[in-house]
Amino acid sequence: MDCELYLVGLNHRTAGVDVRERFALTNHCDKEHWALPCQGAISEALILSTCNRVELVASGCGDVAGQMLHCWATARNACSDDLRPYVYIHKNLEAVRHLFSVASSLDSMVLGEPQILGQLKTAYRKAADNHSTGVILNRLLHKAFSVAKRVRTETAVASSAVSISYAAVELAKRIFGEMHDQSAMLIGAGEMAELAATHLLQAGIKEIFVANRTLARGQELAAQFKGTAIPFEQLVDHLSRVDIIITSTGSVEPVIRARDIRAVLKARKNRPMFFIDIAVPRDIDPDVNGLDNVYLYDIDDLKEVVEENLATRRDEATKAAAIVDEEVEAFSQWLTSLNVQPTIVELINRAENMAQAELARTLKRLGPLDESVRPALEAMLHSLVRKLNHAPIMYLKGDESAHDQSPARISLIRRIFDLEGKTCTRRSSGS
Amino acid sequence: MTSPETGTLLTLGLYALASISGIAGTALRLPFWRKVGCGLAVAGFIVQTLILATGFHTSLPGGLSIGAYFQMIAWFVMLCGLGIGIKMRNETAALFPAPLALLLFAMSAPYLQSLIRVPESLKASFFALHIGTLFLSLALLALACVAGLLFIVLERRIKSKQHMQGFLQDMPALSLLDKLNAVTTITGFPLYTLGLAAGLLWAKPVYGASFSGDPKEVITIGIWLLYAWLFHNRLINGWKGRKPARLAIIIFLLSLFSIIVVNTLMDTHHAFIRS
Repeated sequence: MDCELYLVGLNHRTAGVDVRERFALTNHCDKEHWALPCQGAISEALILSTCNRVELVASGCGDVAGQMLHCWATARNACSDDLRPYVYIHKNLEAVRHLFSVASSLDSMVLGEPQILGQLKTAYRKAADNHSTGVILNRLLHKAFSVAKRVRTETAVASSAVSISYAAVELAKRIFGEMHDQSAMLIGAGEMAELAATHLLQAGIKEIFVANRTLARGQELAAQFKGTAIPFEQLVDHLSRVDIIITSTGSVEPVIRARDIRAVLKARKNRPMFFIDIAVPRDIDPDVNGLDNVYLYDIDDLKEVVEENLATRRDEATKAAAIVDEEVEAFSQWLTSLNVQPTIVELINRAENMAQAELARTLKRLGPLDESVRPALEAMLHSLVRKLNHAPIMYLKGDESAHDQSPARISLIRRIFDLEGKTCTRRSSGS
Repeated sequence: MTSPETGTLLTLGLYALASISGIAGTALRLPFWRKVGCGLAVAGFIVQTLILATGFHTSLPGGLSIGAYFQMIAWFVMLCGLGIGIKMRNETAALFPAPLALLLFAMSAPYLQSLIRVPESLKASFFALHIGTLFLSLALLALACVAGLLFIVLERRIKSKQHMQGFLQDMPALSLLDKLNAVTTITGFPLYTLGLAAGLLWAKPVYGASFSGDPKEVITIGIWLLYAWLFHNRLINGWKGRKPARLAIIIFLLSLFSIIVVNTLMDTHHAFIRS
């Protein structure tokens, strides 16, 4: 391959948070402060910088990796040697594989988390705005996005909740289905409970009530969730109006007892209730779970759900890795096609095949001919093919020293002459 | 135009393929095959409807075979299942009926030549009221039973904090299953009552008395009482969840017992098989 692809990066596995902070390029992805200029050995470049990773992707000829490290270190007022112990350098297909894994969230701290794909899309947009991407990176990034989509749809790597608050909401959906008719009550204020309430609101819950020992704090929270604050002493009276109850008070005694719920259920005509008890010590009498149509999950139950979901994701990651391998192979074929020689051979063969097919059709139409006509027609066609191919072949060979232009030229010729076979396929399927 | 035999085979094939596709799509969590299953179930239902519309009334004067009786229940199961599936916009509800219909078709095979003795005077209205309403309520009960079973399995897992594995993750929410169970039992009971009342009414001129202690009559009234209890508690006492699900399963199993064992093996007015 004339041009080579490199990925240089560090992540949560290779570097601690202090190192990640030190070498973060969050402020170096914009046009004004772009840290990886396309000059010297580098012809295309992209920078991805998040809290858990910095990944630099570049293609070019020569000491691409060395230049990448140098640019990165310089942007952070350091030298390459400071950076070297923490980074990994992947070349060509290994770089492709790593980027596909990152896009598919297989390399993330929380396996399958969805943010990384958005971050990669932003990084690509910024690189494109900066005119730092070309034929190779454009194709690589678009492929990375499609691989990520495939992994998400074909495996369950991102399907189940891996945070306590989200696991609670997922469970609520298993009980109630659509949440548009459900209402919830938040008893006490805690970070996790608030997060669960936020997720419930995002899931479309109809109404939210907040009961806190300090009414003012309750009102503050209610305003935050556009809900209604109720006095803590009256919470049992309001239970018949709510379907999901999240508790996180500091009480040492249970706030809700089974006997309270029996009466509430009667008033609700046995409509199901889901209790999420995030408090320690627990706020809800465990006997509540024994009642019909009542479901109770405490913090340990939710932790267990999260653990099981994580295990499922790890199992699914094996399937996802197989998809990545498959896509790397496909990308490798495309990369190989970017070599000049195979493209020239394909160009000539394609033209020769077309000429032969047309000749056969014409001879059939003309019927019996003089023996000297056929060789003359063949010679004419051969000469025509050679002359027509001359200009594109010269363009492909181009200026030998301008390596950086080679992939772009090859890609252009392949598209114009339909060497990927897309137009032909369409035409033949249409006919 | 296809012959009734070809049409029956085509229906059977479509229900079998719908069941295979639906079960495989559910078990392997492949949405495409679940959709294919729904499509095949609809196709099978349309074919069966055409067969019934074109051929059933002509076969009636010669007597209705007990095989056709099972096939009719299969048609009602499909009608209710697909109707509810479309109404609730739930793929799983639409997939329930195909395996049930297939089972009923398989059960019908040995009895296709055995004829039901239908009194001449009652032939026209007998099917419309007594059999028609009972078939429809049985089909609804079958769906209530499946929804109830699924509810119990899923509810137990949620209550005992067990992980939802495989296809269970794609199953409808508990509320939807409970609603399905409620809709089918609440709709089914009045139909069952109507079918039973029609039967009792016609029994007087045919057998000399409305109630003659016939085993079929006894078990049917027993089922009706249980059904009435379920209907009352669902509507008046607000029963929800596990309790009505269990009762619906019991009622359906008793109905199956009544059809399979009482109708075919016991000495009763309803022993329709004529060898």
